[in-house]
Amino acid sequence: MRLATDRIARQRPAPDPRPLVVTGKRGNVEQLTAVDAAAQELGLRPGLALAEARARYPDLAVVAEHRAGDRRLLDDLADWCQRYTPLVALDPPDGVLLDIAGCAHLYGGEEKLLADLLARLARFGFAARAAIASTIGTAFAAGRFGAGTTIIAPGGERAVLDPLPLVALRLPDDMAAALKRVGLKRVGDIVDLPRSPLAARFGDALLRQLARALGAEREPLTPLLPVAPYVAEQPFAEPIAREDDVLAVIARLAARLKPMLERRGEGARAIELTLFRTDGAVRRVAIATSRPVREPPDIRALFVERLASLADALDPGFGFDLARLSIVAAEPCPPEQIGLGAHADDADLDRLIDRLSARLGARRVMRLVANDSHIPELAAAAVPAQAGGAVEAGWAAFRRFRAGVELSPRPLRLLVKPEPIEAIAAVPDGPPVRFRWRRALHEVVAADGPERIEGAWWSEEAGPARDYFRVEDKAGHRFWLFRAGLYRSADAPRWFLHGTFA
Amino acid sequence: MVVVRIPTSAAASPLPVPRGGGGGIVRALKDAIRSIETGAGAGGDHGAIPFGVSAIDQALGGGLARAAFHEIAAARESATAAASGFALTLAAHATGARAVLWVAEDMGLVENGAPYGPGLDDVDLAPEQLVTVVAAKPRDVLWAMEEALRCRAVGAVIGEIRSPDRGVDLVASRRLSLAAGRRGTCAVLVRSHPGTHASAAATRWLVAAAPSAGGTGPGPPRFCVQLTRNRRGPIGSWMLEWNRVERRFDLAPSLPQPVADAACDRPHRTAAAGA
Repeated sequence: MRLATDRIARQRPAPDPRPLVVTGKRGNVEQLTAVDAAAQELGLRPGLALAEARARYPDLAVVAEHRAGDRRLLDDLADWCQRYTPLVALDPPDGVLLDIAGCAHLYGGEEKLLADLLARLARFGFAARAAIASTIGTAFAAGRFGAGTTIIAPGGERAVLDPLPLVALRLPDDMAAALKRVGLKRVGDIVDLPRSPLAARFGDALLRQLARALGAEREPLTPLLPVAPYVAEQPFAEPIAREDDVLAVIARLAARLKPMLERRGEGARAIELTLFRTDGAVRRVAIATSRPVREPPDIRALFVERLASLADALDPGFGFDLARLSIVAAEPCPPEQIGLGAHADDADLDRLIDRLSARLGARRVMRLVANDSHIPELAAAAVPAQAGGAVEAGWAAFRRFRAGVELSPRPLRLLVKPEPIEAIAAVPDGPPVRFRWRRALHEVVAADGPERIEGAWWSEEAGPARDYFRVEDKAGHRFWLFRAGLYRSADAPRWFLHGTFA
Repeated sequence: MVVVRIPTSAAASPLPVPRGGGGGIVRALKDAIRSIETGAGAGGDHGAIPFGVSAIDQALGGGLARAAFHEIAAARESATAAASGFALTLAAHATGARAVLWVAEDMGLVENGAPYGPGLDDVDLAPEQLVTVVAAKPRDVLWAMEEALRCRAVGAVIGEIRSPDRGVDLVASRRLSLAAGRRGTCAVLVRSHPGTHASAAATRWLVAAAPSAGGTGPGPPRFCVQLTRNRRGPIGSWMLEWNRVERRFDLAPSLPQPVADAACDRPHRTAAAGA
């Protein structure tokens, strides 16, 4: 309700005693979009024209609305709310929905959880209203339109909803207005009305919202983040700030997750560390692995690399008061084989790949795979080594193919993109006599080719056919060149350099 | 820790070691010295990779030391392809069935291109063995190399650094040498320019492309390699030709180009040369 004004008040260096209003253009009128407590006491409400408000009270602090800023703040708040439950959903423009089923006992009951939540928010400078109910609809209605902070016992929805206005059911504006026109203003007015005329006149949406609010129909909550299958967390009485402490906590949390993983025969492929800072900021650090892991030292080692690569490190501020380790993706992991040999070496290589990927980024540690394509730049691709997969199979097929067609030699290094060169050929379809690449002139003394590689003619963005030549210049440098297009065709052919040989 | 300094001249005896008899003692002594030199006390001798060219093998004392750090510089920037080809060939021979790690800088990838799977077979390296790593800074390249050298499953590590004298100093090269010695992994640093700095590398090479003995088309690749530093023996310079069929280096005739042009009026000769 006061998200915008609270955001502005929090950012002010010194408190301003004047009533604060936030304004924005609605249609052609500059209206109030949010007011703070002082302005509300004066009788100002959102929706009032700014000119009118100014006429009543000239001494107002007026700030233009900043919707993106409000939205970002709401996102951050929702992030922070993840400390109470993993199931958090946004309720824009200024609400957050928490599914606390099964989480309340961790805080000693629903009352205590609510008190803790509101106390922390108040400390951050937010005036929040909250309600706990067994349905989203009732919690929404009671939180926004109810008397104050309440906890509604299951079965008590009806009593709470009856006196509330119909907009509390989250109805579209035009539907609420239409209902008002026929004299239906409160929820209690429609609860006992016959269903079919209501549905015929106002549509199914009205009855669905009512049924959801009363708990007759289930309403799904769409959480911001997928719920991790394995989670371990550790609150701290005294905030921690040192990286060593964080790593020690990671090892401890991983040790707690290990038996859970073992019981289900799984290992972690993607792990996320969430650190809740005392001032409400949330830091997330994610790592991925190339094979399922569950050993705490392995997990800790990956976070060591990941933390080392973060530019601004962890930025602990005044410290973290809650750490959570969630295994976002888990995969079946065969029982660990103990012993030496090729198997142990493979695991060692995977561990190395994980370490390198954690520090440098998964897209920087690659393996080469062969693709079933005759176009040179598509025939081999680099894929993240962590993704794994059957690397060998493609190359075996490629070797069979090459042996079958006696493919001419391929360059050792392929340029990221073929680079245009200026080339002069002696005969239209022949190799170039000399060419200029990166401003250096190369005299061709020996050439092999052409090897014609047709473009992907079945595709829309197919290029012209290419004639590849293997050429050697006077100094012995070898290049892989191609001519795109033919001399006979309408467009003049263009020459490109695609790779270099040893 | 006790540091024993052995005069390098004692360890770097170019004399051929006689077989049997007293040779055993000499060999044992040489091994002991070598293990002190490389810092591989527990690792012991990991052997050498023979070039197959007796002149080079003799200079290197049996071949390129497997558990050591080597530097290969391109004589000119345009010879980077030749230098990386030479390095990949050596790495393929050093690694056996284990993986090869190729670590490069971002810019190096843009400038010189990435290793191309279908072309790797030509230097005797199976593409499935290769893991390529791209780092933003030379410091990260060195870090990744050192990490990889500690891994049992990696047989050879190739680093590629473009900027000649940044980042790779005596300390960095010493660290790489020690890491290479510990696990018996071959470490190779490829540079686009010959560096002038001090280095702890066991050998330093200067590689340039050389014109092949082609008929009409380019023949087998030739490298003009110069051994500019050798901790175990003399230096030298050779012209090598990569033999794709036998999968080894041959010593090419010292004249890089045929004295006379290939005969164009005698088709049978041309055909023989082209075959």
